[in-house]
Amino acid sequence: MDHPGFFSLAILWMVLWGAIGGAVIHRAYLARDLDVTAARTVGVAVGAATGPFGLVPLYLRTPTLTRAWQALPWIGVVTVFLFAFRASDPDNVCFTSGTFVTSQLVNGLIMGTIYGLMALGLALIFSIIGIVSFSHGEFYMIGGMVVYYMTEVWAPGLGPIAAVIAACAVTFGIGAAFERAFFTPIYAGKVERPNEYAILVTFGLAFFLQYLVQGLSGANPVKASPFFELPRSEWPAGAPIIETTRSNIKLFDMISISTPRLTAAILSVVMLLALIWFLYNTWTGRALRATAQDRQAAAVAGINPGRMNMLAFGLGCMLAGLAGAVLVQAFSWLPQTGAIPALRAFVIIVLGGLGSLPGAFIGGLILGLVEAAGAGCVPDPTRAAAYLPAYGMIILTLVLLLRPQGLFGRKV
Amino acid sequence: MISHAPKIAGSVAAALLVLFPLVYSAGNYDFVMHLWITAFYYAILASSWALLAGYGGQFSFAHLAFMALGAYGAGILDNYVFLTSLPTGTCTEFGLLGTNIVFLPPAGTGDAGACLTAARATWPEGATVSRFPLLLQIAFGAIVGGGAGWLIGTLVLRLRAAYLALFTVGLSEILRAVLSAEIWLTRGQAGMPMSPLFPEGITILGTTYGPAAKLPAYYVMLALFFATLSLLLWVARSRIGLFLRSLREDEDAAEALGVDTVKWKRAVFVLTAAIAATAGAVQGHYVGLITPNTLVLLQMSLVIAMAVIGGLENLVAAAIGAILISFALEFLRTDFTILGLEVDMTTWRLVFFGLLLMLTLRFLRNGVIQGALMWIERRGVGAETVAKRRAAEEAK
Amino acid sequence: MKKLLLTAGALALAAGAANAQVACPIKIGATAPLSAPGAVTGGEAMRDAMAIAEADINAAGGVLGCDVQVVVADDEGLPERGRAVMERLITQDGVVAVGGGYHSSVGLANMEVADAAGIPVVYAETWNDDITGKGLKHIFRIAPLSSEVARIFADFAATVPGVKKVVLVAENTDYGLPASEQTKAGLDAAGISSSVFTVDIGTQDFSGIIERIKAEDPDMIIQLLTGEASYNFTQQSAEAGIGPQDIPTTCDQAALESGAFWQNVPDGNLCFVNAVGLPRALYNDKTNAFVAAYTAKTGKSAAESYAMEAYDSIMILAEAMKIAGSTDGDAIVTALENITYQGTLGEISFPYNSANPPAAAGVAPYFWHQFPNPAVTMVQYQEPGQLAADAPNLFPPQYKTGEPIWPASVQQ
Repeated sequence: MDHPGFFSLAILWMVLWGAIGGAVIHRAYLARDLDVTAARTVGVAVGAATGPFGLVPLYLRTPTLTRAWQALPWIGVVTVFLFAFRASDPDNVCFTSGTFVTSQLVNGLIMGTIYGLMALGLALIFSIIGIVSFSHGEFYMIGGMVVYYMTEVWAPGLGPIAAVIAACAVTFGIGAAFERAFFTPIYAGKVERPNEYAILVTFGLAFFLQYLVQGLSGANPVKASPFFELPRSEWPAGAPIIETTRSNIKLFDMISISTPRLTAAILSVVMLLALIWFLYNTWTGRALRATAQDRQAAAVAGINPGRMNMLAFGLGCMLAGLAGAVLVQAFSWLPQTGAIPALRAFVIIVLGGLGSLPGAFIGGLILGLVEAAGAGCVPDPTRAAAYLPAYGMIILTLVLLLRPQGLFGRKV
Repeated sequence: MISHAPKIAGSVAAALLVLFPLVYSAGNYDFVMHLWITAFYYAILASSWALLAGYGGQFSFAHLAFMALGAYGAGILDNYVFLTSLPTGTCTEFGLLGTNIVFLPPAGTGDAGACLTAARATWPEGATVSRFPLLLQIAFGAIVGGGAGWLIGTLVLRLRAAYLALFTVGLSEILRAVLSAEIWLTRGQAGMPMSPLFPEGITILGTTYGPAAKLPAYYVMLALFFATLSLLLWVARSRIGLFLRSLREDEDAAEALGVDTVKWKRAVFVLTAAIAATAGAVQGHYVGLITPNTLVLLQMSLVIAMAVIGGLENLVAAAIGAILISFALEFLRTDFTILGLEVDMTTWRLVFFGLLLMLTLRFLRNGVIQGALMWIERRGVGAETVAKRRAAEEAK
Repeated sequence: MKKLLLTAGALALAAGAANAQVACPIKIGATAPLSAPGAVTGGEAMRDAMAIAEADINAAGGVLGCDVQVVVADDEGLPERGRAVMERLITQDGVVAVGGGYHSSVGLANMEVADAAGIPVVYAETWNDDITGKGLKHIFRIAPLSSEVARIFADFAATVPGVKKVVLVAENTDYGLPASEQTKAGLDAAGISSSVFTVDIGTQDFSGIIERIKAEDPDMIIQLLTGEASYNFTQQSAEAGIGPQDIPTTCDQAALESGAFWQNVPDGNLCFVNAVGLPRALYNDKTNAFVAAYTAKTGKSAAESYAMEAYDSIMILAEAMKIAGSTDGDAIVTALENITYQGTLGEISFPYNSANPPAAAGVAPYFWHQFPNPAVTMVQYQEPGQLAADAPNLFPPQYKTGEPIWPASVQQ
């Protein structure tokens, strides 16, 4: 970075005016007896993006805070941040190399799709049962392990699709059985504090599953072979637009995509479409959505809430298992593999809004991009990747502080 | 008489713990002492977390982050600040009451003390260099931890249940990333070395113990444990305890009834964070090294599990749970063979541990220890009632 | 009180003295990471190797008329745990000497405990220079010095045609960080520029950082990563088009377990691997016997360097006890200082000792009690699926058994 001082000053300026905006605008709306639900957040954003130039008119006029008011200033914040960053570090590869930026974008979106799929499971569970599962990462890990054992050890002849289906079945089964055994007291009202009980009991499950797998399968990294392998080819020959090697596709001689990841993302999208079809076109799916919207009303309409709970938890765990199942061909797999993806899923559902299904998916894409940007653009190479686990967590804490309902969630 | 039973049992247990290092003399003395010290450390963490979560209803995952802040706070003073009798001339320093406080430039994995070493070579015999005083280090750690507790207590005012849990998980992960990436200050994963509690050794009642001796550290940690438990019990039984419970049960109702929820929420965070930070600073000096891995989620889950298995709503039960579990996890490491199958207990003990946690939550909602305590108490009550009735009948 | 303690101490001493005569079985301790966050893969390999050592010693009649029992303690890769288990081994299990050891941070934390207790330690796989650099009386090491390995890396990089710019990818541990500094210094001396990328241990997805390395356009990549991190990085860099077949890349020694390597890194062909221990062509009877026993026991295709080192660390301690004729710590130290032992790593001795201190011999202080010349070589996988034993040695010249196959970037 050429001008770290300028960058620090710019950040300080934004934080300062953001804090002032949050306090002052909230007060202004309160004083005029207007709706204050969004006032603080909009104040922070307008303050950070424009400083006093936007805050003063906002303070004087106090307009109705429509959706546009809630969204546009944030785009402003991001823009201002990017300009400040660019001005202080003009030689950064994120501004100088189009190839690099495109590759990072493509990669961020591919990984974001898979993250989104996993987080969708967590959001589904929250929307129906109202709890956050701390064992989501372990289901991800088990999904991958099942695919590895199916394709490499137990039944190599059956092919990857059968293995992915087996992984879904196993994770759904464990999830549903666990839900029946441990969550029923919550619905019966026998648990004083259901949220905390659920967090702890899923924590126990995570411990149990992780070390059970380590005890049974050992601690050596394993990996499934890629589901599809490409021949080495060029099209058109000579000056290729698409160039493939066994595990890599290169477009326009600049964007390179890993084949295992691409297949994983495509499978994720297919499964996602199947899930959407299931939720909107089957009786069970509609019943699930109905239960998510209004438990009592759904029960009155003849939907068995107990069965819906089991289904939701099973499906949620299955989605995590599925994400693991398609990724075990891209990453080396260990019993501890689930820890980081689980944290990532937390970030995504908070970002999207706890319990919001579209929010989870879009949150996944955003996180994929943010991690790619963090690893790619942070100037100091000894920090860029070392902070990789923290980028998502910074988003999580900021969202919880500024907008706890997330992008699409209902008011907390 | 029944009402005195817990007090008597408590006093006897406390007396036994005080006498233990003097009476015990087997060959594995150092190791057993070490287990006790570690057990007290976990007991401090688990019981203070039980006040925060069990009484205050604040389900925080940042407890070990406070602990680490205390340890690193003390560690930074221990590594980079020294007191000397003569000015070095080259380091950053200022004089105070005849001593010089020397600040060394943090140098990561390199040698921070170059300027001090160079100056010492030129000094006359008798010039002294000593570390920043231990008690001030620990106090600084506690202030850093307590300050962070105040900040987090303020930030989470609006957050409840799952949101609070996720927020605190996020903060701990960020802190862990910072501690392992900012190598210039913390030495990253290599860990920050810390001087022993008593670097020159200590003489108690005429017996001199070296810097590595376990007995002084045992009493330091035991004293901290007793002090913590007394403070926590006092808080829990005072009016503050009632306020805290009201926070847990129904925050809105409590507020409507005039309880200053903001104040007490913050206060419980500051108190428990400062306790965790103090424990961290002392433990850091005892172990001699702190690393960012001490605050991975896995370690936090261990503390939580200890408090839960002991009994979340009873501070003493949480502490006993922590002591029992830290001993159990150590002694269950012995592998065994069953039906020709070799069981690697290093892994399987944690499988059983997870299972125990789940089953405790499901079937013994008050925790194992607290459940047992209540059972004993009730049995006594039953026997007493029967005896009274009989006495009454006989009197007729 | 004082009296009581003194009596206890006297009793313990008397018991100790009596035991020194006939304490059967003789217990040799060992530490290894057997659970997370330690490198469990390495720890389990070392545990298996040391179990073979125990069996071999006892099959050959034991030591001093006793059977030997190797007590392996789990240090979890945590320095504070490492200290505790060292205390446990010494005071609870009553070991007379300690072998094994994987993570440098653990070794640095627990070596002083053993030294203070007068228990000799032969570290097997802790590379950090400071372990022997402190000059402790009871501490020995048969693993290579980090700075020596760094020298081999730098010297090897200088032999690769056309290398002007190297990227070092280091994990943020006390193996990776000093190793990256030392290697960078070596490269600077050879007139090769380099930049260091640091990653968090436990990172699974390296894609962002790989794109960034690609944007730097290096002529060579040197990995200072261990275990599955190296697997993940190598395979993902291949999928991004800068794998070992595209530009010269060094992989971690974990690659020498060729079965796991090819499963986890199917595109890892042409990888250069730094190997510790004798090249295949120079294997002695002990190496052959150990590799046979180890592969039979574990089902692996080869023995990793750390397995051999762990085996030798136990064997050399047993040998020293035989020579000393006692299990007394100081006697074992004297025996080790004078020993010349034929192990799986070759002829092991500790020439820089109390009779010949490093300062007097004119070598760096960290050669104290250090096996000065373990063979550290560069081997290369030259066809997919090749066994580690068949991969030729390229460097240094005295061990050379084949010519390198340069990847695409060098050939152009």
